[in-house]
Amino acid sequence: MRRRRLVEFNLLTGVVLGIVGFYVGWWLGHLVKAPSLDYFDDTGQNDIALFVAYFTGVVGFLVGLGFANYPVQRMLGKPPSLREKETEGIGRYFGLCTDHKVVGIQYLIGIGAFIFIGGLNAMLIRFELLRPTHLAWNGNNYLTLVGLHGTMMMGMMTSGILGPFANYFVPLMIGARRMAFPRIEALTFWLLMAAGTILMTALAFGGFPTGWTGYAPLSVQANMGMDAYIAFFALVGLSMTLLGLNMLATVITMRAPGLAWGRLPIFVWGTVSTSVLMLLAAPVLISTLFMLALDRTAQTGFFNDQAGGSPYLYENLFWIFGHPEVYILALPGMGIVLELLPVFSRKPLWGYRLAVTGLLGITLLSFLVWQHHLFVSGINADLRPFYMLSTELISLPTGFIFVCALGTLWAGRIRLTVPMLFALAWVFNFLIGGLSGVFLSDVPSDVTTHGSFFSMAHFHYTIMGGLVFAFFGAVYYWLPKMTGFELDERLGKLHFWVMFLAFNSTFGPLLVIGFLGMPRRVVTYAGYLQGANEWVSVSAFVLGASMLVFVANLVWSQVFARVPAGANPWGSKSIEFQLPSPVPVHDFDRIPTFGPDPYPYGGIEEAGFDGTRPAVSPARPTP
Amino acid sequence: MTEFAHPATDYGVVEEEPPALLERNLLIGSRLWASSLVFFFFAFLFAYFYLRSLNQHGLFQPKGVSPPQAWGAVVAVCLAASAVLLSWGAVDQRSERRGLWRLKGVGALALALVAVVAQVVAWSTLGFGPTDGGYASVYLGWTGLYTIFVVGSLYWLETCLALSFRYRDEPFGRAEVEPGDASGDDYREAPDIRNAVHLNTAELAALTFTWTTMAVIGVVTWVVLYLA
Ligand code: HEM
Ligand SMILES: [Cu+2]
Repeated sequence: MRRRRLVEFNLLTGVVLGIVGFYVGWWLGHLVKAPSLDYFDDTGQNDIALFVAYFTGVVGFLVGLGFANYPVQRMLGKPPSLREKETEGIGRYFGLCTDHKVVGIQYLIGIGAFIFIGGLNAMLIRFELLRPTHLAWNGNNYLTLVGLHGTMMMGMMTSGILGPFANYFVPLMIGARRMAFPRIEALTFWLLMAAGTILMTALAFGGFPTGWTGYAPLSVQANMGMDAYIAFFALVGLSMTLLGLNMLATVITMRAPGLAWGRLPIFVWGTVSTSVLMLLAAPVLISTLFMLALDRTAQTGFFNDQAGGSPYLYENLFWIFGHPEVYILALPGMGIVLELLPVFSRKPLWGYRLAVTGLLGITLLSFLVWQHHLFVSGINADLRPFYMLSTELISLPTGFIFVCALGTLWAGRIRLTVPMLFALAWVFNFLIGGLSGVFLSDVPSDVTTHGSFFSMAHFHYTIMGGLVFAFFGAVYYWLPKMTGFELDERLGKLHFWVMFLAFNSTFGPLLVIGFLGMPRRVVTYAGYLQGANEWVSVSAFVLGASMLVFVANLVWSQVFARVPAGANPWGSKSIEFQLPSPVPVHDFDRIPTFGPDPYPYGGIEEAGFDGTRPAVSPARPTP
Repeated sequence: MTEFAHPATDYGVVEEEPPALLERNLLIGSRLWASSLVFFFFAFLFAYFYLRSLNQHGLFQPKGVSPPQAWGAVVAVCLAASAVLLSWGAVDQRSERRGLWRLKGVGALALALVAVVAQVVAWSTLGFGPTDGGYASVYLGWTGLYTIFVVGSLYWLETCLALSFRYRDEPFGRAEVEPGDASGDDYREAPDIRNAVHLNTAELAALTFTWTTMAVIGVVTWVVLYLA
């Protein structure tokens, strides 16, 4: 009973209406006139027009994808169906689809593409730094590169694990067939795609000089590329808020009967704690960017010292969001690692409650430390001890996570599969990341390391060494389940070892270079650091090449080799591995019954890793 | 194929979801959204006190920069009254006096629209502009974003009213919905929302919570921007 429609809504109509919307908005925006805006005509810099164009462009894109159908029907008083396009076939990936598994795969590919672009930027940055003086770009273009890289990565990687993996697996893990708000789930993905495209248009408007932090007053004075940054991050913020809301609502309301909080897989806990931060921190970012946009268009003075405002206000508000944001990038990785370790050590997760306490402790504390980013900005010195202490306190719950990881490994029957290698690398890298963080949170040592490559190496150890390694662990672990085809193990190991060695050979030396005083976000550096920088750049190129190994593996094994993965390639006891690969549209025939222990590893039948006695059993068929 | 799932989808099985689930989703969702709302406006509260205590060059609130008191009071009172009326209406809906809820719902919508109009009038009669210091910036940014959110919430209220009017003759327990009526979901055999009136009650409970939160934020806005 499929009704024919005049126009099918899909990605194509979305892109067409997005472009039309952009130009209509651009034209409309130019109609706005006021004496104080005369400089728009003189300079050709019309920020209002660009903001309106971005707005109408995004609206057009969403309308074209079919997101307007539901709200319009609701306005007419028709009750909605919760689902759209939940069916088989390739077409569902190119448009609005409310199947949580489709959204997961859309995220994986969509985010992956933008992260690849961000990675290319990093290669260009390292190319420039082969020489202490100008090599390929002038200072402005270099800053734009750094800004595009950092902003793209921070914006996309915030959803890097929740987007693909939580959307796909959290409903399964809690025994639900959908997310609480399936349409919002799809919306978060498409908002992110619109955002990424907008950020890239910054290049057409002269780039932006502020890096990913967008500090005022520079961001108030910068040219129109800054507007792309603002629109990008606001859309990312909106996507994050809705993603967090949806995840929380799902876990709170949709757990299968009997699945108490204390029985949830630890990955679900990682998702929950991340979602709390997304739900509460991202709104602050959106409001802050709204102020920044007003400063740039309506000439308000929020961040303008000469107009009764203060750039410090921006710095504070940004980090009230920004520090929770960095933990939004840490917690999902912890969840993944703790989820993988039991499977590949054949042991229950050690200290489940301790791990949950750790995750929630980090969540709480991360709202109380933001001024450690402002230690040397000239803030009131009396504030420093509190923020120093609260920051160092975070090491405590972080330590819980490490204890649980090591406790799980202890005396386990460890299998060094590709996902396990990535999980173990997380333990190594994140330790270095955390330890370097302690130096930064110590005011006396931050005075010399702030704004240097030491700080930059610190957060690359935590984010790339932590989150991105966990991300790849998750890819190798779950992708066979998502597509039904195995990834090649030998290429996977090659990818891992090249990536692991090149990563440490890139960022390890940068810790030292930073200590020696090389500042971030500056196109030139002291001549005597050239040798070290050449080493780092070459390592970075190798690191980039390791990503090509991964892409080759992906294309080879998923497009050409296509070895069926089987339902449970890892002998996991988790619910998703009791389902067929790929998981059918309806997830399960009946809602399964969950046992009291999510990690029942180590029983007598363990010998063959045959995945018997899983953590769940099928529900008894209703007579 | 495993014992948990057959690869082919049988929609008849899939649609079986307890009706109370949707209700709980909406209720929890509205509480979560309300907590986000608080953080949206926390940023402006922070900005207000931060800039006020810094008072750069004495330019936080130069002489002559004062908000239109009368319009501010109109906005706050209308918002509060609208929220009260809506909560009252939700009680009517629950106790099957659906005609009364629709009346109060329309009243709540009208009051909130008055608040929006009053805010627009307030902007157009301001004695100051965006360049007139920290207070002026916070005033415009805060009321601006707030008004955007009010209009968004009113859209939600409108959808509840529209649903209620469309199904006004259906008895409480039975208001069958056409399968896949709204969104091009045509190939499904069974609807996943089986009862429109039931949906209405649930959404109203959720909306009431959100709208009350919005009204509280509105009153705080008024206290900070007009009275403090
Ligand atoms: C024990 C844990 C950690 C401590 C004590 C810590 C401490 C700090 C401190 C004090 C700074 C400010 C440095 C400066 O600008 O002078 C900083 C910067 C940063 N940290 Fe951490 N950190 C920790 C973990 C993490 C984690 C887990 C992440 C992300 C996953 C992270 C990401 C960042 C980022 C992105 C910056 C730099 C932001 C910028 O200026 O662009 N940190 N950290
Ligand atoms: Cu921080």
